[in-house]
Amino acid sequence: MAVRYAFLVFWLLVSVLPVVVLVMASLKDTALFQSIPEVLSFRGFTLDNYERSFRQGNYLFFLRNSMIISFSALIVVLVTCVPMAYGITKLVSDRSRGTLVFMVLSTRFLPYVVLALPMYLFFARIGLSGTLIGVILAHLAMQMPFIVWLMLGFFAGIPREVEEAAVIDGCTPFQVFWKVCIPMVLPGLNASAILAFIISYNEFLFAFFLAGYDAQPLTVGITRFIGGADVGAQYGVVAAYGSLIILPIILFALIVNRYIVSGLTQGAVKG
Amino acid sequence: MSSRRHFNPWAFILPGVIAGGVVLGVPVVQAFWTSLHRLRLYRLHDQVFVGMENYLRLWQDPLFMLSVRSTVVFTVGCTVLSVLAGLMVAAIMSTRGIRGTTMARFFMAFYLVPFVATQVVVGMLGRLYVWEPEYGLVNFLLSLVAIDGPMWLISRDTAMLATVITNAWRLTPLAILIFYAALATVPDELLESAEVDGAGGLRTFTAIKLPLIRYHIGFVTLIQMTSAFREFDTVFALTGGGPGRATNVLSLLVYNEGISAANLGMANAIAFTMLIIVGVISLAYMRLARLDKAGE
Repeated sequence: MAVRYAFLVFWLLVSVLPVVVLVMASLKDTALFQSIPEVLSFRGFTLDNYERSFRQGNYLFFLRNSMIISFSALIVVLVTCVPMAYGITKLVSDRSRGTLVFMVLSTRFLPYVVLALPMYLFFARIGLSGTLIGVILAHLAMQMPFIVWLMLGFFAGIPREVEEAAVIDGCTPFQVFWKVCIPMVLPGLNASAILAFIISYNEFLFAFFLAGYDAQPLTVGITRFIGGADVGAQYGVVAAYGSLIILPIILFALIVNRYIVSGLTQGAVKG
Repeated sequence: MSSRRHFNPWAFILPGVIAGGVVLGVPVVQAFWTSLHRLRLYRLHDQVFVGMENYLRLWQDPLFMLSVRSTVVFTVGCTVLSVLAGLMVAAIMSTRGIRGTTMARFFMAFYLVPFVATQVVVGMLGRLYVWEPEYGLVNFLLSLVAIDGPMWLISRDTAMLATVITNAWRLTPLAILIFYAALATVPDELLESAEVDGAGGLRTFTAIKLPLIRYHIGFVTLIQMTSAFREFDTVFALTGGGPGRATNVLSLLVYNEGISAANLGMANAIAFTMLIIVGVISLAYMRLARLDKAGE
């Protein structure tokens, strides 16, 4: 048993130690590398690197873009995908249901560059390049297959009798969906929304291809900032900026851990 | 039953299908269409139809072949590593006395950290603080056991290994979670009778539990394979495809070709080739592992 616990603690370190190193390094006053014991020691703390991330790195501007993109994408994704998943589970014909489920499943595996490059070209032609709308549409494309697929599983769990009873009580189809089924899949809906938000917040490729400067989220902002000549080899600032991106999302994930677990295991594990 | 007359599920489905057609269907068709042309990034009005020329040139391009090889190594490496690590952690988490305890939930919450960590930050963190030869975490830990660690990302021989480990680190939580949930469905009676028969922990795991979760192993393998195959963020931030072109996977090659070299026709041909590869492999895989049936 002791060996097992030792392994679990070892894996805990594998999972979090790199992040701990990043955060500790961000709090040290240095333009240079320090050895790992120095980085992890509780001496010489300073917030200088954070101050510079806010001031020179324009953190709040990129944070604002990240939030607009993530929340807008989330809303668009839920509005289109949740009714779609519900409708698919209600299809009577096995064949059309099978076809749609297959389409959803196969688009899940699309390489993102296949979408990003034509979108770049297309948005350039219709004047959407470098806009938040372009990035949000790209995020819709990236999220749709995953979220529809998740919600399919959650809707499939509603017993048929519940809906039939609602119909007998005089509910319209929309009321059955909105007042009966949505409350029943609320935990699943939360899980989908949380995962969609995390994926959007972390996303880099689409934003990198499509965002120009004005619509850049944090993930692109940090790469441009670090590449800039004014920062050079100030590793502490890189660490602080990285921490400012990674810590909020990790804390959020720890708080809503229950929903992430249910979302990720949904569809993979029956019963 | 009379309600069925009023209710048409397509009213719910159609907006999603239209949105999906616009944001997924149109770009894919456009990618194929552009791949049949010669098109430069800064001369978008000047599009010349060349048929399959871009595709034919690809097969003679050593850089493309190099990227194909890197992508295969990267994808297989990430998949194998994350599935094995996931199985190991999930198996230990599932032993009686650990499973379901508060401590197990605590561990699991933190095991998810790599999954939610922003990929570009992971890449930078990897480059500056984990794989850095002189001051990095890995070589520090190796020095504790008197091993003089290699140059990792700086050397052509070890850069791919470090890149694979970094991305597998990010993929493993999903495997842990799904295997852990799947192992919970193995009935206790089976295990008890195996123990009565004198089977040890490892033996019950390989003989009883593994076969029972084979569907989940297949499913996780497919998910990890496809997401490693298309990975861009982590590799871009970690190595940028280097040193030389040692870690220049296909996603990065598309970027090099399309944006850096401004050759959109060629870049789209590479991207579309990726689509065909992933389509053929995942369809064949789903058939073989019977995942298409099991999902229903």
